[in-house]
Amino acid sequence: MTSLSHPTAGGTSVPASPHSVVHAKVYGDAEHLQVPAAAAHVSSEQMLDWFKQMLLIREFELRCMQAYQEKKIGGFCHVYIGQEAVAVGCTAAVQHKDPIVTAYRDHGHALARGMDPKHCMAEMFGRIGGCAKGKGGSMHMFDRDNNLYGGHGIVGAQTPLGAGLAFGCKYMDEVIDGKPNSRVSLCFLGDGALNQGAFHEAMNLAGLFDIPVIYVVENNGYSMGTAIARGTTMAHSLITKAAGYGIDGYVVDGMDVVGVYADMKRIADKCRATSRPAFVDMRTYRYKGHSMSDPRKYRTKEEEEVFETHDPIGRLEARLKTAGLLTDDSLKAMQKAVRDTVRDAITWSDESPIPPMAELYHDVFVEPWGPYTGSSQPAMNGGTANPPSMRTIDTKEELS
Amino acid sequence: MSAVREIEYRDALREAMSEEMRRDKRVFLLGEEVAEYNGAYKISRGMLEEFGARRVIDTPISESGFAGLAIGAAMMGLKPVVEFMSWSFSLVAADPILNNAPKMLYMSGGQFGCPVVFRGNDGAGGQLGSTHSWCVEGLFSNVPGIKIAIPSNPYDAKGLLKTAIRGSDPVFFLESERMLGNKGEVPEEEYLIPFGQAKVIRSGTDCTLASWGRPVHFCMEAAEEMQKLGISCEVIDLRTVRPLDIGTVVRSVKKTGACVVVDQSWSFGSPGSELASQVHRHCFDDLDNYVHRVHSADVPTPYATNLEQEYLPNARKIAEAVRSATYNL
Amino acid sequence: MPINVTMPRLSDTMEQGTVVKWHVKVGDKVASGQVIADIETDKATMEQAVFDEGIIAKLVCPEGKQVKVGDVIAVLAEDGESVSDAASASSAAPAPRGAAPSAAIASSAAIVSSAAIVSSAAAASNAAATSSTSPAATRTIVADVHATDVSGEDRMRVSPLARRMASEMGVELSQVQGSGPGGRVVKRDVLLAAENRSAAVPATRGAQAAANELVAATPSMIPAAAASAGAIVHGAQSIEVPVSNMRGIIAKRLVESKQQIPHYQVTMKFSMDAVLALRGSLNEQLASMEVKLSVNDFIVRACALAMAKNPFFNASWAGDRILLHQQVNVGVAIALPEEKGGGLVVGVVKDANLKSLRQISGEIRALGEKARTKGLSMDEMSGATFTISNLGMFGVDNFTAIINPPNSAILACGAALEQPVVRNHQLVVGFEMAATLSLDHRVIDGAMASKYLQSLKQFVEGPTMLLV
Repeated sequence: MTSLSHPTAGGTSVPASPHSVVHAKVYGDAEHLQVPAAAAHVSSEQMLDWFKQMLLIREFELRCMQAYQEKKIGGFCHVYIGQEAVAVGCTAAVQHKDPIVTAYRDHGHALARGMDPKHCMAEMFGRIGGCAKGKGGSMHMFDRDNNLYGGHGIVGAQTPLGAGLAFGCKYMDEVIDGKPNSRVSLCFLGDGALNQGAFHEAMNLAGLFDIPVIYVVENNGYSMGTAIARGTTMAHSLITKAAGYGIDGYVVDGMDVVGVYADMKRIADKCRATSRPAFVDMRTYRYKGHSMSDPRKYRTKEEEEVFETHDPIGRLEARLKTAGLLTDDSLKAMQKAVRDTVRDAITWSDESPIPPMAELYHDVFVEPWGPYTGSSQPAMNGGTANPPSMRTIDTKEELS
Repeated sequence: MSAVREIEYRDALREAMSEEMRRDKRVFLLGEEVAEYNGAYKISRGMLEEFGARRVIDTPISESGFAGLAIGAAMMGLKPVVEFMSWSFSLVAADPILNNAPKMLYMSGGQFGCPVVFRGNDGAGGQLGSTHSWCVEGLFSNVPGIKIAIPSNPYDAKGLLKTAIRGSDPVFFLESERMLGNKGEVPEEEYLIPFGQAKVIRSGTDCTLASWGRPVHFCMEAAEEMQKLGISCEVIDLRTVRPLDIGTVVRSVKKTGACVVVDQSWSFGSPGSELASQVHRHCFDDLDNYVHRVHSADVPTPYATNLEQEYLPNARKIAEAVRSATYNL
Repeated sequence: MPINVTMPRLSDTMEQGTVVKWHVKVGDKVASGQVIADIETDKATMEQAVFDEGIIAKLVCPEGKQVKVGDVIAVLAEDGESVSDAASASSAAPAPRGAAPSAAIASSAAIVSSAAIVSSAAAASNAAATSSTSPAATRTIVADVHATDVSGEDRMRVSPLARRMASEMGVELSQVQGSGPGGRVVKRDVLLAAENRSAAVPATRGAQAAANELVAATPSMIPAAAASAGAIVHGAQSIEVPVSNMRGIIAKRLVESKQQIPHYQVTMKFSMDAVLALRGSLNEQLASMEVKLSVNDFIVRACALAMAKNPFFNASWAGDRILLHQQVNVGVAIALPEEKGGGLVVGVVKDANLKSLRQISGEIRALGEKARTKGLSMDEMSGATFTISNLGMFGVDNFTAIINPPNSAILACGAALEQPVVRNHQLVVGFEMAATLSLDHRVIDGAMASKYLQSLKQFVEGPTMLLV
C-alpha cells in the first residue's frame, strides 16, 4: 500500500494515511490507489484557515445533534462529523464561481462554501432567517450567492443535477458567450448513491457530452447501515465504475485536508481545461450514525476507534503544532471563538421568528396565480420582466 | 392583417420551439432522436440544421438522467425543452420531474427556479399497448409547483408552447400522437396563449361539456349528435389542467344546469374528478343533476382496436352522459 | 454557569427515556464527546455522550427511572466553578433551553376545493352498501354514472336547481311530481307544476315570485319585495302606505293576468226564487245541526256540476295545448279584514262536484274563518280550477272579476235582489241575480260560454238538481 505524503511549507511530511487493516476491511484492498503528482503549494494561512473551518463544522454539527435531541431540530438530521476535510479541502480547490451540489449531509458543504452559520442553523430550526426561509430544512441547504445548489434528499438525485449544472456553465460560456468553458461543477455523493440508476445515467451523459463535472464520492464505507462491500460491486475499486464510462477515476485520502486540497486542485484544473468529467473515490469516515436515530450497531467500537485516530482535525492539529503554527493557547482561543460563533448562531436562530403564514403559498411558482403569491426569486429572463403568461384567476371574485 | 395558414399540429409545435430558440439563446432542445433523426414524430424536423448540435441535442435512452440534467441546467439559468418520446417514458424520470422540478423554488426559499418545459405524446388510441398509452395528467396534476398544458389543436399548441417556454416555471406539456397530423388555422403573426384560460368552442344552453386535449374532439362529435335530438351542448376546451379555469366552466353551468366532464385519464383521482368536485362546489344550487364524468375505462389500455375504441372516452359515451345528465334517456 | 444535561431525543418517536446506567459519578471531570450514560429509548439502548466539558456536579436522574425527553438528568460545573455551588444552583426547576415552537399550522385563506358532493343517489347507495368490495371502514364516495338508489327511503328527492326554482317561484314541492330517477324532482317538473297550479297567494310566508306559465320562469327571477313596516308621511300631500306582501302579490298577479289573458265577459241573469226557497227550508231542517247554507254554497255546487258538460271551463291554457283538469276544484274568493292587512285569498273546495251542499257549506265556512284568523295553508289555497267571486252580500248589482291564473274563467256574482221581473208574460216581483263570467278567449269562446251559463241556469233555477 502506498502512502500519500504532502510536503508542507515547513518541509516536514505528515504521517501516512490510514491504510491499515481496518481501513482495508472497510474499503477493501487499495491496490489501485493512484499516486498524485507533486503537491500544490499550501500556505500557512490556508492551513490555519482550513483548520478553523473544520473546527467550526465540527462544533456546529455537535450542537446540531444537541439541538435535535432538544427537539429544536425536527425531521432528519445527518451530521458530517469526521468528513470535514472533504468539504473544506474540495471547496478550497475550486473557485467560488464553480457550482457545488451535494446530498443531504450538507451542513459541512454549506459552511465551507461560506454560508453564515446563523442561516444554516436557523434553517434547521425552521425559522424565517434560514437560508431557505425555513421551508427546506436540514437536507436542503441552498445558497445562491455562494453557488451552492443544494442539499437534496433523494439518494443520487443530485447526480444528474450536477451534470446539468456543469452542462449549463459550459453552454453559457461556449454557446451564448462564445468563449471557452471556465467552470467545473463539484457534485458530492455518498458511496450508497453509486447504486442508484440516476448516477449511472448521469455518468453516461457526462462522459458522452464532455461535461466538466467532478463526482466526489464521499466514501465513508457505509450506506446507512450497510457496509459498502454488502451493497456495491467492485467496492474495493470504485474507480473501475468510472472507467466503465470512460471517465478518469482517482482515489483520494479524505482524512487529510491538505491532501484533499492538493489532489482536488489538480483534478479540478484538469477538468476545467479539458472539459472532461472526473470521478473521485474520496475515502473518509463518519464518526456518528447515518442520522440521529442510528445506534451504529453495524460496526464495531474498535473500528471506530481506529478511525478516530485519523480524525482530520486531529491530524491537522498535530501538523500545525509541529510546524509551530499552533499552540495549546491559540488552539483554545480558536475553539472558544468557534464555540462562541456557534452559540451565537443558536441564539440568533432561537430568536429568529417562525416563517409568517404567507410563506406557505410563496415560492411555489415564480408567477403568481390562484392562491400562489409568486416568488422572491430574481427575474429569470436576464433582467427583463416576465411576460404575464397567467391570467390571474381570482375564483372568489368570479364565482359567487 | 396577418396571414392565416393551415398547418399541422406537429408544425405548430416546431414553430413554437424554433421561434423561442431564435429569440432566446438560453432555450435549447434535448431528447431521444430529436436531432439527427429529425424527431421520432418529425416534430423537430430541420431544427438541428438551423440551430446546430449544441442546441438540438440527441440524448441516450436515459430519461431520469437527462431530465435531471435539464433541471440542473435550468437551475443554472438556461431554459431547456425536454422531449419525452412518450409521456409514458416519463415514469422512469418520475423522481427528477416530480421531486426536483416542482419543488426547487420552494425548498430553496425562492433562490433557484426551474424554468424547464417537458413535452411529449400523451394519451391512447394508436394501439400502442398499455405501457405506451399513459395519460400522465391523471398522475401528475396532483403535484403543486407544475403547470400542465394539454392543447387540442394546432393554434392552441403553438400559443401555449410559446408561453410555456417563455415562462419561468416548470411546465408539463402534453401533446398527442393521434393529433400530430391534425391541421388547423395558425396565424403567421406571433401570439401567445396564457395558461388558465379556457375556450368555449361551441355555445349551447342545455348541457356543459368540459374537456381537455384530444377528447375535446369527441365532445364536439357528441354535441353534433345531441343537436339532432334538440339538446344544445356548450363545449369548453379547458386547454390547461393546472391552472384550471374553473370560472369559465362555472359560468357555463350556471346557464345550462347540467355538466359532463370528459377526461381521457382513468377516473379515480383524476383531473376530471377534480373538475367535477369544483363544479359541485361552485354550482351547487345551479345543478339539475350531478356532474357526470366520462373517462377512459378503468383498465390497462388494451391493444385490440375494438377494445381500445371502447376504452376511450368516445363520442357515444359522451352522448349517453349528456342524455343522462339532461334526463333524456 | 452550571450546564444542564437533559434527557436527549434519540429518535423522532421518543417521548421518554430511562438512564439504565451512569458511567460517571459526582466529581468526575468529563470531556466533550465522552460517554456518560447508557440510555434506554423506545427502540434501543444507546450510549449518550456529553457535549460540553466540565465536572459532574449532580446526577439528577437515578438509574432505572423513566423521565421525559428534555428533563434534566445531570448537571455539569464549568471549569473554575464550584461543584457544590453548581449542584445547588440548579436544584431550582431549570428553564428548558428554548423548546421548539409548536407547529400549529392553520390553513391560510386560500381557495380550498372542498370534497365532492356527489348525487344523493350515490350517497344513498353508499349507505346501503351491498357491494362486497367496500370495507366498512372506508367512506368511498363513488361518482359513478351507474350508481343506483338502493336506499328505498321514502323522502323527497329534489335537484338543487329545482329546489331553488321552486322556492323562487312559490311552487309547493310536495305537490310536484318528480320525473327524475327515484322520483327526483327536476327543473322541468317544477316548471310544469308552476304552469298548472293556481295563484296560490301565501299569506304568511315571506316574499315569493308568482308563477305564471306565461312568465319566463328563469332561475334568476327575483322575488317580490317584502313589506316594510309603518307608513311614512310626506308633508301634507299624501301618506305613504307601504304595500303589504299580500297586496304586492295580488297586484303583480292580477296585472299579469290582465295583460296576458284575452279577457271577455258574458253576463246572465238568474231567477233566484227557487234557490232562496230551498235554502230556507233546508236551513230550517238543518238548524239543529248548526248548518246554515248560504246562497253562495248553492252557486258553488251549481258551477261545479255544470262543468260536467262543459269541460273547457275546468281547463288551463298551456301554450301549445289545453289541460283539461280531472278534478273540479272551486276557488272561493275570501276577503280579509283590514286589520289583518286586507286583501283577499282564494280558498279552495276540492272535488266540489262530488261534495254535498252541506259539505261545501261547512268547508267554505271553515276556510273563511281560518283565512280571517290563522291564515290558510298552501294546500287550502292551491289547486283551484275555477273561481267564484261573490259580492252579493254588499248589495252589488253586478261586476266583472279578473281571471285567477291558471284558471280559464271566473264567475262574478252580484246580489239576489228583489226587483220587477217578467214571468209567464206577467210583471211580478222576484229575486234576480246577475252573474258575469270573465273568460279566457284562448280556451273558451262565446258559444261555449253561453252553453255553460245555460247549464248553470238549469242548476240554479232548478236547485233540487243540486241535491242529487
